[in-house]
Amino acid sequence: MTTAGGTPLFLLEFGDIVISFTPYTTSLFILALVFTLLVIASRPERQLDIAFGTDAYMTKEISLSEMRFRRFMAIACGLASMGAVVTGDLFDFCLFTALVGICNVGIVAAVKSRHVQNAAYQYGLVALAATVLLFGGSAMVAATTGTLSLPILATGTLPAVPLAVKAFIVIGVMGEGMAPFYAAKAEMFRAPGAPYVIMCSLSSLLIFLRVIEVVVQL
Amino acid sequence: MIIQRISRFLSDFDNLMPLFAAACAVIAALAIISLPFAYYDDQLYPKSIDEKSPLDPYDRGGPPFSRAEIRLQYPNNSPTAGYVTAYLTPFSWFLANTTLHTGTTIVAHPGGILDEILYNTRGLDTVVETAILFIAFAIGSYIFRKGSR
Repeated sequence: MTTAGGTPLFLLEFGDIVISFTPYTTSLFILALVFTLLVIASRPERQLDIAFGTDAYMTKEISLSEMRFRRFMAIACGLASMGAVVTGDLFDFCLFTALVGICNVGIVAAVKSRHVQNAAYQYGLVALAATVLLFGGSAMVAATTGTLSLPILATGTLPAVPLAVKAFIVIGVMGEGMAPFYAAKAEMFRAPGAPYVIMCSLSSLLIFLRVIEVVVQL
Repeated sequence: MIIQRISRFLSDFDNLMPLFAAACAVIAALAIISLPFAYYDDQLYPKSIDEKSPLDPYDRGGPPFSRAEIRLQYPNNSPTAGYVTAYLTPFSWFLANTTLHTGTTIVAHPGGILDEILYNTRGLDTVVETAILFIAFAIGSYIFRKGSR
């Protein structure tokens, strides 16, 4: 059983959802794991605003409860990306991706700044709308091939998934937090609290790399 | 420069939602053009409808306390499949025995009809329904915010 990500090194079997650690997914998994551990261990930074040409600078005070919530969301985001990169079931992948989107919004929406919250609101709307495409796409894969298991779909014995359905899944993942829709995130990076915001971009990167593998083998 | 103009457009997060909506519209148009999609008959999770059954449309067949014959992608991973989720709670069982409407209610207790729904559709219909509800809330909140400016 060889998939686009290589021959599985290890299969973790949860009933119909078989989690496959191919060389590709394993490296993504380790990356997500390392960054989640970093988020757990790291201490949040304080943002400094420096006025040019003078010695003046300001430190932004961030409350402990806000930091605690954002750390929780960042860890949840890390767990969701770990799930999304290793899962061997298309529906499961969509669920984890939707969870990544929700956690990304959660990380930034906790910031008590009007500008950041406006950006998070727009991003949340996109993430919400993307779930329809994401799950619609996976439902259409189930209808046109009869299965949702990625290793079975990768064998190539089933009828090909229509191009539009692949596009549904890709744009769904894009909406959950990715490249052309990144503009809102640039605003979010102004948000104080450095180590947690990085989880947004890392999880986007990981699910982007994973969705390529998923769509290639559909 | 065209790239400058594009990046200036993208840098305003208020343009994000229209851009995503436009992308969705293009892809939806592509999907409509490529219709019809062929339905693959050999479905792993088949669905049969028995309108006489009180559990309709979620009746999987078989008495609830014995093993039901269900299809799986990896049968060797689930030796006990067909036992647990075929269970109806006493309340669901009461509804199923007295009315014909168990299938039209969302009886959301463990082992209840929700499990049947999730089995039969692999959770796709509930997720899509919830997503549509969320979208309705999102549109509502968007309009509400527009009005308050």
